[in-house]
Amino acid sequence: MKNMNFQVNLQGVIDLLSNHLYSDPGVFVRELLQNGVDAVTARRRLGHAFDETVKVEVFSSYTLAFSDNGCGLTESEIEQFLARIGSSTKREQQDTADDFIGQFGVGLLSCFVVSEEIAMITRSALEGDALEWRGKPDGTYTIKKLQHEVPIGTTVYLKAKPDYEDYFEYYQTSELLEKYGQFLPIPIMLIEDKYERTINVPTPPWLMDKEEAIAYVERETYSKPMDIIPLSSVIGGVSGIAHILPYAVSLQDEKRHRVHLKNMLLSDKMNNILPAWAFFVNGILNTDSLRPTASREAFQENDLFFAVRDELGECIKRYLMELSERDPELFQRIIRVHYASIKAMAVEDDELYALFIRHLSFETSYGDMRMADILRDHRMILVAVSLDEFRQVARVAKAQELMVVNGGYVHDLDLVRNVTAVEDDVSVDILSILEFANRFEELGYEEKLAVQPFLDQSDELLEPFQCRTLVRWFEPADIPVLYNTDREANFFKLAEASEQEANPLFAEVVRVIKEGLYEGPYARLCYNYNNPMVRKAIESRDPELQRASIELFYTQALLLGNHVMGAEELRMMNAALLRFMNRGFGGEAEAGL
Amino acid sequence: MRNRFNELRRGSWSITDEKQKVATFEEMIVMADRYMTEEDAYDTRINYMSAALDAGSREKILVAFSWCLAKFEQTPGEYSVHTLLWYYKWVLNEIWRMPEFSLDQVERIYEDFKQKCIQHGYNLRPYYQQKVNFLLSQGMLAEATEFYKLWRATPRDSLADCKACEQNLFGVYQFKMNHYKRGMGTLKPILEGKMSCHAVPQNTYSHTIVPLLKLKEYDQAIAIAKKARRLIKGPQFLEEHGIFLEFFTVTDLPKAVKIYNDTIRYGLDSKVGWDRFHYFLSVRMFLAEWHKKSRRKKLAEADRVTMDWLDWEIARLAEAFDRRNGNSYMTGFIEEKSLHTRRLIAAFASRS
Repeated sequence: MKNMNFQVNLQGVIDLLSNHLYSDPGVFVRELLQNGVDAVTARRRLGHAFDETVKVEVFSSYTLAFSDNGCGLTESEIEQFLARIGSSTKREQQDTADDFIGQFGVGLLSCFVVSEEIAMITRSALEGDALEWRGKPDGTYTIKKLQHEVPIGTTVYLKAKPDYEDYFEYYQTSELLEKYGQFLPIPIMLIEDKYERTINVPTPPWLMDKEEAIAYVERETYSKPMDIIPLSSVIGGVSGIAHILPYAVSLQDEKRHRVHLKNMLLSDKMNNILPAWAFFVNGILNTDSLRPTASREAFQENDLFFAVRDELGECIKRYLMELSERDPELFQRIIRVHYASIKAMAVEDDELYALFIRHLSFETSYGDMRMADILRDHRMILVAVSLDEFRQVARVAKAQELMVVNGGYVHDLDLVRNVTAVEDDVSVDILSILEFANRFEELGYEEKLAVQPFLDQSDELLEPFQCRTLVRWFEPADIPVLYNTDREANFFKLAEASEQEANPLFAEVVRVIKEGLYEGPYARLCYNYNNPMVRKAIESRDPELQRASIELFYTQALLLGNHVMGAEELRMMNAALLRFMNRGFGGEAEAGL
Repeated sequence: MRNRFNELRRGSWSITDEKQKVATFEEMIVMADRYMTEEDAYDTRINYMSAALDAGSREKILVAFSWCLAKFEQTPGEYSVHTLLWYYKWVLNEIWRMPEFSLDQVERIYEDFKQKCIQHGYNLRPYYQQKVNFLLSQGMLAEATEFYKLWRATPRDSLADCKACEQNLFGVYQFKMNHYKRGMGTLKPILEGKMSCHAVPQNTYSHTIVPLLKLKEYDQAIAIAKKARRLIKGPQFLEEHGIFLEFFTVTDLPKAVKIYNDTIRYGLDSKVGWDRFHYFLSVRMFLAEWHKKSRRKKLAEADRVTMDWLDWEIARLAEAFDRRNGNSYMTGFIEEKSLHTRRLIAAFASRS
């Protein structure tokens, strides 16, 4: 047996790490800033007293120089860490609480995305020699001692590759430095010719008071937040703010929280650091303890991460509960703008449910209403489980003074059903769509006897379509029939198609499901005894005319309800229409029409 | 009609409610059958099967599959045999869960699948795997072991489940054979994050928590349950919700209340006997604990889901399975499970 090593294609690995690990070429600025800040931190630890600084100089030939007066590198450190991918001066301290930002020793490779060569001049705080190191993306490098004196620290020079010149322009460099490093505790200077300016801002948002934070967010986003929620997590060493957006956001919108690791921007589009229901806020946060992934654009989703997220969610919850007492007017405004998010929160948490439910609006048979108003006027609530079922009954329900709430929108069904947990003496029932018409006023005994033959004929005619009929008296009078179908009506059509097509083995399978697991019928047609046309049809002594009326009432209801009509239903409608036309033109009842 | 169809399809991508998604696909299929091409109808049914699984309406998979199989048999060149057999595995995994199907019917479906695998050049590894599940569901451990050996001995081909899914099922097999420690060993690569797919490790978590309680590994069980609760949501996980309900009934009753309220509707909606049986058995255990104290808070569906109704429903389902299987495994399972849960509750309460 021979022990062998994997062979690594160095150029391929460098290409992989530099061109594919990061989502944006601009991250080289972050990586270089980070190396600078870490070097300064390391030198501070040696006990040196010095004027800590990181300088970035822009030259006219699309060249950048990143200098720091940190600890520098010795020749052996260069050999060990710069030229050996995967090593890092910081690795052994990875799991300890420290001031370092970086971890992986691959950061420098991100420079190869924008530059064909990395040149570095360094002098270690520990040894005297100044060194020049030059590395190329094919994996080769040179190292030499410099004759002239240079100060302690490191300078990295990069020259733009074709097509990446933009990143070396003053305005672009300035923007990237601000983006990543404006909150770093070490002064960052940007220099062009004789002009020099400081990138850092004195206070990061998570240390600002509320008024300052509102002004900061307004400056950055061009819209004034409704309020600022302070965020903190002890276990994750997180402090931050969540600013409440002044406009409604869609549930589908990708969240973009700005997250910093030890004051350096990690990502400005992190979507999962706050709970999913908190989509009415954008967060700006800083953490000391969460572990980044290799690309340092996200955090590792370990137990700590989820615990931190829960803790931050608690901050938002506590804020809302206090706000309802402290500033009811603002509380109401937030609900009005962000009702969708508030609904998602209320479903997740019992305390928030109790806090919000009365303020939330629902679509009902009486129009849009807040739950408080629904509960004031009604002790019996019906919830339709789908928008389709709600639409089928909404108009008629109001006329019968029935409170039906549309539970078809996300969360509404659960929110309405749970109202009994916070309100006594109220009943909430799921609307059974096929039983709905049973709630209407029944006919008297004599009338029932009179309509029975008409109903028998209806049932017989509509039986092939899985539809049963009944007669009730209901408002409004201008609606001749109410056609209700439950969700399984289409499934039944599917099962019929499968049974016809399937081989004998599977036709039997479909039959078992259709007959053993499901119960028809799936549709109800309720005639309105309050409607003059229905009365005329029922009282007619002409069986042909009655038949045509039933067929037209049924097919017209399908059309009005936007249901897909089958070939047999279309044929039925045509035949009935022609029969009526024939009568209208004075023809007699004819066989075949 | 094509516009309406496309509009529904576009809408279906952003529907988060699983039942609503199924209803949308059903409308699309009815439309496709009447006004569109056979290919539209076929493709929509294939998507519908996944939506039906997500909605916990497993029986609907069989109905859609029957139609697709018929079309495949009529014009074999038109449709992918691999896709079809892949969904056939789903059918095998679902059909025994409904006691309305006779043993003979289930056996004939299994045999048909086996013949189709041979006919189209696939080996019988998936067939053996499905047989193991089916036999375990009947409590036929010795027979299941024989098929387990065949399953392990047959090489993987492109019709086999992915490695993570299979590893997960190897662990489940061990648990069913009452080899808890060996099962945990088998599932170790999954729990350590070395194997995963779209269904694993979510699936694995629910299988491991009760064995871990039995092994008195309480901390690990609670940690896994916490992770799993973040991942397992929706009606497709009815059996799993039952397991978590059972777990939290033992370890944390207020959490069990939340799970019950969140999931009872899925249980009542389900038409699949196997899922209902296991879920309601857990609900029964939960309610028994819940009613030990007098409570002011009313649970969801309290008027419908009473102890009497649960006893009746559980016994009805157990009898239906036992009648179908020709043994008394499921009735015995009720007794055994209630004994085990009582023991677990006592052991957990007395932990130091």
